Amino acid sequence: MTIAPDRPAAEVGTARRRKEDARLITGRTLWTENVTLPGMLHIAILRSPFAHARITRVDVEPALREPGVVAAFSGRDVADVQGSLPCAWPVTEDIVLPDRPAVAVDEVRFAGEPVAVVVARSRAAAVDALAAVDVDYEPLPVVLDLEAALAEGAPLVHADKGTNKTYTWVFDSAQAGTGGAVEAALADAEVVIRRRYRQQRLVPAFMEPRSVVVDPTGDQVTVWTSTQIPHILRFLLAAVTGTPEHKIRVIAPDVGGGFGGKLAFTPEEMIAFLAAKRVGKPVKYTESRTDSIASAHHGRDMIQDIELAARRDGTVLGLKVNLLANMGAYLGLVGPGVPLLGAFMYNAIYKFPAYRFECSGVFTNTTLTDAYRGAGRPEATYAIERIMDELAVELGLDPIEVRRRNWIGHEEFPFTTVCGLSYDSGDYAAATDRAKELFGYDDLRREQAERRERGDPVQLGIGVSTYTEMCGLAPSRVLGSLRFGAGGWESAAIRMLPTGKVEVVTGTSPHGQGHETAWSQIVADQLGVAFEDIEVLHGDTRSAYKGLDTYGSRSLAVGGIALVNACQKVVEKARPVAAHMLECDVEDLEWSGGQFRVRGVPEGGRSLADCALAVFAAHDLPDGMEPNLDADAVYDPVNFSFPHGTHLCAAEVDTETGRVTLRGYVAVDDVGRVVNPLIVEGQVHGGVVQGISQALFEEAVYDGDGNLLSSTFADYTLPSAADLPDLVTDRTETPAPGHPLGTKGVGEAGTIAATPAVVNAIVDALRPRGVNDIQMPCTPERVWRAAHSQGGAS
Amino acid sequence: MRLDHNFTVPVPVDEAWKVLLDLPRVAPCMPGATLTGVEGDAFTGTVKVKLGPIGLTYQGKGRFVERDEAAHRVVIEASGRDARAAGTAAATVTATLIAQGEATRVDVLTDLTVTGRPAQFGRGMLADVSGKLINQFAGCLADTITGPAPSAAESPEPADALSSPVEAPQAAAPEVEAVDLLRVAGSTNAAKRYAAYLGGLVVVGALVWLVIRLLRR
Amino acid sequence: MIPAPFEYTLPSTVDEAVRALADAGEDAKVLAGGQSLIPLLRLRLAAPSVLVDLGAVEGLRGIREDGDALVIGATTTHASVLADRLVHRFVPLLAQATATVADRQVRHRGTLGGALAHADPAGDLPATVVALDATLSIAGPDGSRTVAAADFFVDYLTSALGPGEVLVAVRVPKREGWSTHYEKFNRVAQAWATVGVAAAVRRDNGSIAEARVALTNMDVMPVRAAAVEEALTGVPATAEAVAAAAEHAAEGTHPTGDLSASPEYRAHLARVLTRRAVLAAAGI
Repeated sequence: MTIAPDRPAAEVGTARRRKEDARLITGRTLWTENVTLPGMLHIAILRSPFAHARITRVDVEPALREPGVVAAFSGRDVADVQGSLPCAWPVTEDIVLPDRPAVAVDEVRFAGEPVAVVVARSRAAAVDALAAVDVDYEPLPVVLDLEAALAEGAPLVHADKGTNKTYTWVFDSAQAGTGGAVEAALADAEVVIRRRYRQQRLVPAFMEPRSVVVDPTGDQVTVWTSTQIPHILRFLLAAVTGTPEHKIRVIAPDVGGGFGGKLAFTPEEMIAFLAAKRVGKPVKYTESRTDSIASAHHGRDMIQDIELAARRDGTVLGLKVNLLANMGAYLGLVGPGVPLLGAFMYNAIYKFPAYRFECSGVFTNTTLTDAYRGAGRPEATYAIERIMDELAVELGLDPIEVRRRNWIGHEEFPFTTVCGLSYDSGDYAAATDRAKELFGYDDLRREQAERRERGDPVQLGIGVSTYTEMCGLAPSRVLGSLRFGAGGWESAAIRMLPTGKVEVVTGTSPHGQGHETAWSQIVADQLGVAFEDIEVLHGDTRSAYKGLDTYGSRSLAVGGIALVNACQKVVEKARPVAAHMLECDVEDLEWSGGQFRVRGVPEGGRSLADCALAVFAAHDLPDGMEPNLDADAVYDPVNFSFPHGTHLCAAEVDTETGRVTLRGYVAVDDVGRVVNPLIVEGQVHGGVVQGISQALFEEAVYDGDGNLLSSTFADYTLPSAADLPDLVTDRTETPAPGHPLGTKGVGEAGTIAATPAVVNAIVDALRPRGVNDIQMPCTPERVWRAAHSQGGAS
Repeated sequence: MRLDHNFTVPVPVDEAWKVLLDLPRVAPCMPGATLTGVEGDAFTGTVKVKLGPIGLTYQGKGRFVERDEAAHRVVIEASGRDARAAGTAAATVTATLIAQGEATRVDVLTDLTVTGRPAQFGRGMLADVSGKLINQFAGCLADTITGPAPSAAESPEPADALSSPVEAPQAAAPEVEAVDLLRVAGSTNAAKRYAAYLGGLVVVGALVWLVIRLLRR
Repeated sequence: MIPAPFEYTLPSTVDEAVRALADAGEDAKVLAGGQSLIPLLRLRLAAPSVLVDLGAVEGLRGIREDGDALVIGATTTHASVLADRLVHRFVPLLAQATATVADRQVRHRGTLGGALAHADPAGDLPATVVALDATLSIAGPDGSRTVAAADFFVDYLTSALGPGEVLVAVRVPKREGWSTHYEKFNRVAQAWATVGVAAAVRRDNGSIAEARVALTNMDVMPVRAAAVEEALTGVPATAEAVAAAAEHAAEGTHPTGDLSASPEYRAHLARVLTRRAVLAAAGI
C-alpha cells in the first residue's frame, strides 16, 4: 500500500493550529450541558453518605411535595427495569461479577453511590428537594484496605459472593512457552531485588464534569452524553435496557477531556435514561465537581510486589510480579482488565528471559476504579523503572548503563518479548543518547556529586525512565483471547460533496485530542483537497454510525489507517470518472498532486472536485457506473504499536522542608511518524504533567469510615504551570513497519514515562541518606521524613 | 472511630446516677442543642453548629440501649442527619460511673461515625470547632453552678487547653478542663448541677460528640 | 452544586449595609469578593437566609495615604493592592503576601477585607496584618469602632466582627526603617499555606533592634511567634543568632493536621520558614 501520494505530503507533518480550538477554548460550542430542549426537566441524585450500609427505607414522597418536583424514585422503584451496569472485560472464566445497579436497591457499597433520584423543573429545585428524601440506613462494617479485604473474616463488600477477591489472573512465561521459569531464575540469581510499590488512587479530573441529556420524545431515544465511547454506549444501552439498538441515538458532542474517566457506561447515564422514560420528557443531569470526584471512577490503586533476579554483571534473569488491584465496590466497564494491559509491559524494553505475573482484583468499599490515562501501563512502567534503579544501585552501575545492558538492541527488531508480544521497531539507544545530550546528563551528575560533597541542604537527583507501551488498541483477536467483550477495529468514511468539499466520518470520538485537525491533514494529502475544505464528523451514531471510539492511544494508530484506506477507495472510484471526462483509458491516468492527468500531459487534469460534481450531476457517466465516490473502510490492526522513549528528570530536594522542585525535564519520544508536531507536543506536555502529578501531588484519600477526604480540588491537589518545570521535548523516529501509516500513538506516553522519572530523581537525591523509596505522592512531608529517617523508606 | 474520655466530678456516684437520665434539665447547656421530645427510652433533638459562615443542623434521635444501675452504666445510641449538607453522624456512647469516695469518675467511650460533606474537609476547614463547642458548654455550666460573674467562667484558661491540637482521636482534654472549672467553682449546693452536667454530657452529648468529631478532623 | 435559596441585597452605603444586616438578623452574611463564601454556599455547608453584597457600597474600595499609615478600603481587591505603588513603597510585606494568595482569578475577585473577615488561619493576609500591627475599622449598629489586628482574629473562621457589623477599612502603619519578608510554603502555587511566616525586622547597626513575626496556619487563628521576637531582640544580625531564635517558632502554637501536613511537620516547617523569613527580612 502506498500511503503518501506521489507528491510531497504538504499537510502531514505540518504544525497546524487546531481547527477545533477556537470553539473549545471559548466554550462557544455544544457541550452536553449546553443542550437545552423544550420542556426539559432536571435530575438531582441523592448519594449515599455511607461507604457501606443496608438501606432499610427510602421515602421519596416528601420530595414530591417540594416546589417544582415532577418525579422521584428510589432504587427499589426501578429495580425491575434498571438491570445491571455491564462489565465488558470479565478477565477470567470464574470471575466474581456482582450486579451493579445504577441506583442502589438494598445496600450501598461506597460513599457516593446513587440512592434516590429527583426530577424537577429546574436544577435548583431538584437539588433543593433532595433534602426532603428520607432514607434510613443501617451501617455495615467497611473494608478499605486491599490486604485487609483479603484477610480471613474481613467484612464482605458483596456478602452473597462470599469473598472480596473477584479474580486471579496469571501469566507465566514458562507455561506460555514464551520464556523460562521465574522461580528457577530467582534461585540461580546472583542478585535478587525485592520491592513493594504502591500505586496510589487517582481521580481522572477531566475538565468538563460529566453531563447527560436524554430525549425520549422522538422516534429514537436521543442521548447526549459527555463520553469517550458513544458507539459502545449505544450497544450497551440497547443490551441493558432492551430498547432496540436502532431506536437509540447517542451523541457525544464536544467533550471536555476524559483521560479514561469517560470510558464508561455510567449510573448517571442509566438514571437519565430511566428518568426520561418515566416522565416522557427530556431530562438533563450534570454532575457537580464534588460528586464527580466522589463517584466517577478512579484510577490506579494497586500494591505491586516485585522480585527481580539478575547476575552481577547487570543482566536480568527474570521478573516476578504479584499485584493486588483495588477494583472498588463494583467492576467497571473495563476495570478488571486494566492490570492486564500492564501485564505485558513489566518487561518493558528489556530482554528478560523469564517472567511471571499474577494479579488479584479486590473489592473494597470505595469508588470503583477503571481506565485512567495509560491504564495498567504506567503502573507497570513505574515498577520496572523503579526497580531497575535499585538494581543499578545494588551493582554500583549508572542507571542508564544497567538499562543498556538489558534493552533490546535496534538491530534485534522485530523482537518477541517474554510476554509473547512482537515489538516491531524501536531504537532505545538513539532516544537515550539524544535525551542525555539535551539534559546535560554528565554535567548534572557532576553537580550532584559536588552538592553531596559539600553537604548542600538542597540535594540534586537525576531520574531516568526508559519506557515502551503497547498502543493502537487493538488486534481484535488478541482482545478476544483476553476475554474483552469487543473488537479493536476502527472505521472511517469519506463523503464527497458536489462542490468538492469533503465530509470525513470517523468512528473515533475525540475529547480534546484534535482529531478534526489531524484527520483533515491526512485527508487533505490523500485527496488533494484543501485543509479548510474538510469537515470531520464524529461522536453521533446517526452520522458516524460505526466505530469503537477513543481510548488507549488507538485513534490515529488504528482509525488513521481506516481513514487512509477509505481515501484510497475514493480515489479508485473517481479514477474511471476522470478517465471518462478526459476521454482516455483508465490505464493512461496518473493521480498526483490531487489531479488525475493523462500520462505525459501536464495540463487539463481533473480534480476530485471535478469528479464529485460529475457524479452529482450524473448526466454523463459511463454505462452502468454507480454515481458515487463515497467510500468507507474498517481497519483491524494486526499488531499493537510500540512507541518508546527516554525521559530524564532533574529534581532539587530541599532536605530541610522536603520540598521537591523539578529543575529540568527532558522527554525524547519515538511515536513514529508525526501527523501534526504541535498536537504531539501538546500530548507529551499534558501527559508528562499528569505523570509528574502522580509522582508529586495527586492522591484520593479515604478516612477509616470510607469518607473521601480529598473531595474538592482544595484537597485533591492538582498542579498548575507555576509548579512545573519547562519541558524539553524532542523525538526520534524509527519507522514502524507493522503500521501502514507509520504512526504509533502518543496519547499516554508522557503519563507512562514521567512518574518513575520523577520518583527516581527524588530517591536518587536522597540515596546517600539511605533512602530507597518514597511512597507516592512524594509530598514534602513524606520526603522530609524519608530524608531524616535512617533506612529511608517512609 | 472510638473516642475515650474520662473525668471526675465531686459528687457521690448515686446522686450522679439519678440525674444522669434527666434530659430536659441538662439539654439547654449544650450550645445549639434543643431537645424536641422524650418518650420512654427514646429522645429526639437537634444540634446546631455554627462556625463563621458554616452552619449545620443535625436532626437526630436516640435511645437508651442499656441502663445498668448495678454497674452504673448506660449505653446510648444516637444518630443525626443534616439533610442540606448531606451528612450523617452516629454514635454509640457508653458511660460508666465509678465511685471514688465522695467523688465520681466518669468513663465515656464513644464509637462514632460521621459521613457526608461535613466529613470530607481534609483541609481542616472544620477542625477544632470542638474546642469552641466545649468552651461554650463549660462556660454555661460554670455560670449555672456558680451564679453571676464567676471568675472561673471568665478565665481564658480553658480556651487554650481546649484548642490544643487533636491529631489523635483520644481527646480527654475538653472534659477534664470542664470539670476543672467545676472544681474551681467549688459550689456548695452543686450536687444536682454536677449531675446535670453528667446527664447533659452523656445524653445530649451523644449527638454532640458526633458533631465534635466531625469538626475535629 | 447549587447554593440553598437566599435573599440578596445590594446596599449602596455602609449605613445601608449595616441596616440590612440588622434587618436580616443573625442568619445574614456579608458577601465581598465571594472567593471563600461562595464555595461554602455551593457545598451547602453555609446557608445564610440573606446575603448582603458590599460590591456596590461607595467608598469601600481604594488605597490612600493618611499620615504615617495607608488606609485600604475593605473591598479593595487583592489585584488592586498588588497594583498600588503606595503599598509597594510603604508596606511591601502586604504586597508580597498578597501576591501569594491563590491564583490570578481569585486575586481579581477576592478582597483584603473579605480575606480578613473570613478569618481563615490558613489565609496569608491575617498573619500579615498581625505582623504589620494594622488597625481595622468596623461599622455597626452602634456606630464605628477600631480593633487591633491582634485582637481581630478570635477563633477558627471567627473574627471580632459582631453579627451586625461590617469591616470598613484596614489601616496599615508605614513602619519606615523596618524590612520585611513573607515566606509561604504550600504544595502547589494556588493552594493555601501549609505554613506561612510574616516577618518584620528593624535593624540597628549590626544587631536586630526589634522584630515582629506572625505565623499562618499554626493555630486556629494567626499567631505571633512571641518567643522568636523576644529571642531576636537585641541579638547580632547573624545567621547563627537568627537560626537560634527561629527554633522557638512553634512554641505555644497548636497546628492542625490535614492531608497536607501533620501537626509535627507543621511545627518543623514553622521553625525552618521563620529562620528563612527573618534572614530574608534582615537581609542576612
